[in-house]
Amino acid sequence: MPKFPGIKGIFLDEDPLIEQGSKGLRGIGIPDCGLKKSDLKKDESEYIDAKYIRKSPPELPEVSEPTVVRHFTRLSSWNMCVDTVFYPLGSCTMKYNPKINEKIAALENIKNLHPLTPARLIQPALKIIDDFNNILCALTGLAEFGFAPQAGAAGEFAGLKIIKKYFDLKGENRKTILVPDSSHGTNPASSVLAGFVPVEIKTGKAGTLDAEELEKFISKDVAGIMITNPNTFGVFEKDIKKIAEIMHKNGSFVYMDGANFNAFLGSARVSDMGIDLIQLNLHKTFSTPHGGGGPGSGALGVVESLREFLPVPYVKKVGGGVSADKNLKRPVYELSEDKKNSIGRMTPFLCNFAVVLRAYAYLLSLGRENIGSVSEIAVLNANYVKKKLGKILSGSDPFEEGLCMHECVFSDKAIEESGVSTIELAKLLIDYGFHPPTVYFPKNIHGAIMIEPTETESVRTLDNFIKAVKEIKFKTKKSKAVKSPQKTKVGRVNEVLANKQPIFKY
Amino acid sequence: MNNFRYFPNSKRDIAKLYRILGIKDKKELFGKILGGIPLMDGGILKALPEELGEEALYRFFLDIDSNIPAKSRTAVFAGGGIYNHFVPSAIDGLISRSEFYTPYTPYQPEVSQGTLFALFEFQSFIAEILGMDVVNASMYDGAESLAEAVLAAMRLSSANRDMPVSHKDDIILISGGVNPSYVSVIKTFAGGTGVKIGKVKLDGRTGRTDIEDLKQKLATGGGRVPAVVVQQPNYFGVIEDLEALERPVHSNSNSGYNPGFIVSSTEPYSFGVINPPGYYNADIFAGEGNSFGNYMNFGGPLLGLFAAKKEYVRQMPGRIVGKTKDGKGRDAYAFILSTREQHIRRGAATSNICTNSSLNAVRAAIYLSLCSKSGFKEIASLNLKLAHILRDRLLSSGLFEPLYDGDFFNEFSLKLKINGNKNNNTTASEFIEKMAERDIIAGVAVSESALLISATENNRLSDIEKYAENAKEVLNA
Repeated sequence: MPKFPGIKGIFLDEDPLIEQGSKGLRGIGIPDCGLKKSDLKKDESEYIDAKYIRKSPPELPEVSEPTVVRHFTRLSSWNMCVDTVFYPLGSCTMKYNPKINEKIAALENIKNLHPLTPARLIQPALKIIDDFNNILCALTGLAEFGFAPQAGAAGEFAGLKIIKKYFDLKGENRKTILVPDSSHGTNPASSVLAGFVPVEIKTGKAGTLDAEELEKFISKDVAGIMITNPNTFGVFEKDIKKIAEIMHKNGSFVYMDGANFNAFLGSARVSDMGIDLIQLNLHKTFSTPHGGGGPGSGALGVVESLREFLPVPYVKKVGGGVSADKNLKRPVYELSEDKKNSIGRMTPFLCNFAVVLRAYAYLLSLGRENIGSVSEIAVLNANYVKKKLGKILSGSDPFEEGLCMHECVFSDKAIEESGVSTIELAKLLIDYGFHPPTVYFPKNIHGAIMIEPTETESVRTLDNFIKAVKEIKFKTKKSKAVKSPQKTKVGRVNEVLANKQPIFKY
Repeated sequence: MNNFRYFPNSKRDIAKLYRILGIKDKKELFGKILGGIPLMDGGILKALPEELGEEALYRFFLDIDSNIPAKSRTAVFAGGGIYNHFVPSAIDGLISRSEFYTPYTPYQPEVSQGTLFALFEFQSFIAEILGMDVVNASMYDGAESLAEAVLAAMRLSSANRDMPVSHKDDIILISGGVNPSYVSVIKTFAGGTGVKIGKVKLDGRTGRTDIEDLKQKLATGGGRVPAVVVQQPNYFGVIEDLEALERPVHSNSNSGYNPGFIVSSTEPYSFGVINPPGYYNADIFAGEGNSFGNYMNFGGPLLGLFAAKKEYVRQMPGRIVGKTKDGKGRDAYAFILSTREQHIRRGAATSNICTNSSLNAVRAAIYLSLCSKSGFKEIASLNLKLAHILRDRLLSSGLFEPLYDGDFFNEFSLKLKINGNKNNNTTASEFIEKMAERDIIAGVAVSESALLISATENNRLSDIEKYAENAKEVLNA
């Protein structure tokens, strides 16, 4: 192994496909579907009114299959990804995406299944959702999960809509959702979308929310709190039970942003923390690929009293159960809409099924034997980085004393002393062959550098990364820092220009 | 602690980590962090299944796969918002590259040019197909995208009103031809704002949105109208006369405000044959793009498309890729206008969306490249013809009658004819159930007696024959 993975190589340039075309070329075979030649030749105006017919077809590139394949293969080579580099993006849980899950999602009949196929014929597919729901309930201690939310933010929105509807039905007009200032941007955005007013609470010195501070915000206008746990500093909210008590006493709900659930997977249940609702980002904790920005799934779990509010449709299990009666029929799975107080529909069909499928496969792979090791190793790896980097970046760990959970965060204090800014550190790391950590978030840490190693990285990789940070801290010249990265397909991108004169398409 | 195959730290490595941290074991580690929160014990974990080895896991899912309708022998004629189009192997080959499917959102543009460039091409191709100025880098699905379009139109309509904005006096007019699931999602999203939802009825004969009803509701609908929503082709497969619909929308002076003209679609493949929404001066397009290179996947993940006129770009939700330069003047791509988004603007963002359908969008970009200019048009034309042949064949059997007679693309609605049906109380759902037993997914029931039927390039003439013959047996049995 070289000293660092980022050495040198060849980057193949590639023009936009539209410039590579040649009239009449295409990369797809067109079947005749058994149609007569005379039908194939007929003009569209023999079928529909000519006034609707498009005169000039869309200007798509005119290219062959090999050209398309080479084009996109070259493009792909300009990406860093989990399979090529250490990708320690904080709050994003960039863990390994098992290959077997891709093979399962690519099974011919599953991937070609029409969502409105009669339920009687697709019982095994519906059973997947029910079985997966049972596993998530066991892992969280909650009563039921709804799978309609397509991503984390959609799960937040669904959860907040539930809270809203709960109070509407009670005839209470509570408008406030409390959000710690360290929360993900989606939290206040989802609150607004659900019709609430988000109110920020300052986090304490230890990085956590203070029960005493919270008390100051409590009133009958407070519908709930959105709390990320462990929070975006990677710190466990020590007062969580007390916070939940305060909220519950006020008749309010505790919504947990489950983006960081990897810290608890198989080790602790959120029900033991007094959580009422949580979304689980299956594309984070449950290993489904991020896909360069999506798709995901933000399955929403709730306590017993909120089950009837979950989105519809959902998979309902009818019959079966644990009966000694031999005559009892096998359970039947239905696509049901009978949730008395459902917040309604969020998606045209049931859920991001292919994502749920991968997550289910992941849990079946791990099984009860290994699942607790996920959070254990994730926490160990993060604390190792915290400890080692804490020495190199002295004075930069705002929470030096305690242990972190699945991620750790540093300020730019130490690197600034060496004349390197956070963004420069990020870009310099690229040339060493690492994806940068999350930077400048959370906002309340100066020049924040947020590192989440996950359980699928080795100590060897972590050591290599730590060594790179050390080299940057002690050896980098400012002149080099401002020019980095230099080994990438393009250098520092001019984002000012991009926004000043926006170009949205060819 | 087992050496499970996804964990690259050996037992020794883990022991080393504990030693360095000065902690004995997991109990102490989590005890120190969690305080009074208990560690999950064997009793709780017992509710979870035992681990499955890779081969056993694959067989488990193979078994599931073989107990649902088989692609190899099932003829799918169901649409209703998702369509059974052919997916070329080159897409699967390219998308299986880790460089596409395992990165995060491209927030570090220098190491994400591949995804960014591919999304820029996606935006370019979709803009061409829709005839719209600006396309974003995807939403979750057509329904969510449409709901966000309605919210965007509401924001635009309130731009010149005194704050705080109330939508209590507003009414969104939605055509009865919009997919009912989409209308439900709009209600979920817009419900909290106080806005009312009004329905514009369909012409009973043609199945097109009733222009007179629209005009009347624009005039006296009981409030200011931030947006009028139509679907092209509509839920029943009928091609809307967008030209005739657009005129009253954009000249509605009754409330001193011209509503946004929002066009949706669940089948943008139609725009290979018919005029696109941009041609009719649509302000926003929001619909489904799954037809372009994506599998049906039992309904998700899908591909939300969102496009708008340039002047509305600041109210658009979601990420947008823009073309720019790097320090050396080389072409480069990056996310632009991020100040609209939640990670910058938090509560004041245009939407809460973060994760979207990026990979599905890249699939669409690859698909449309493969189709090329001529292929896209020809496949669209093939869809049109197959659907018309199917409809003619079914009507000639005497078992069905048209629900509407308006022009259509690749989907249409028929009623089961009572007289031609010996078993004359068969409902549309029962018909579909019985046909499914014969490996034909015959359509989607839209009422007690009517169903939606679609045809794509994945259906052959022989499938159409099979449909007609089996329908005869099922309905005359």
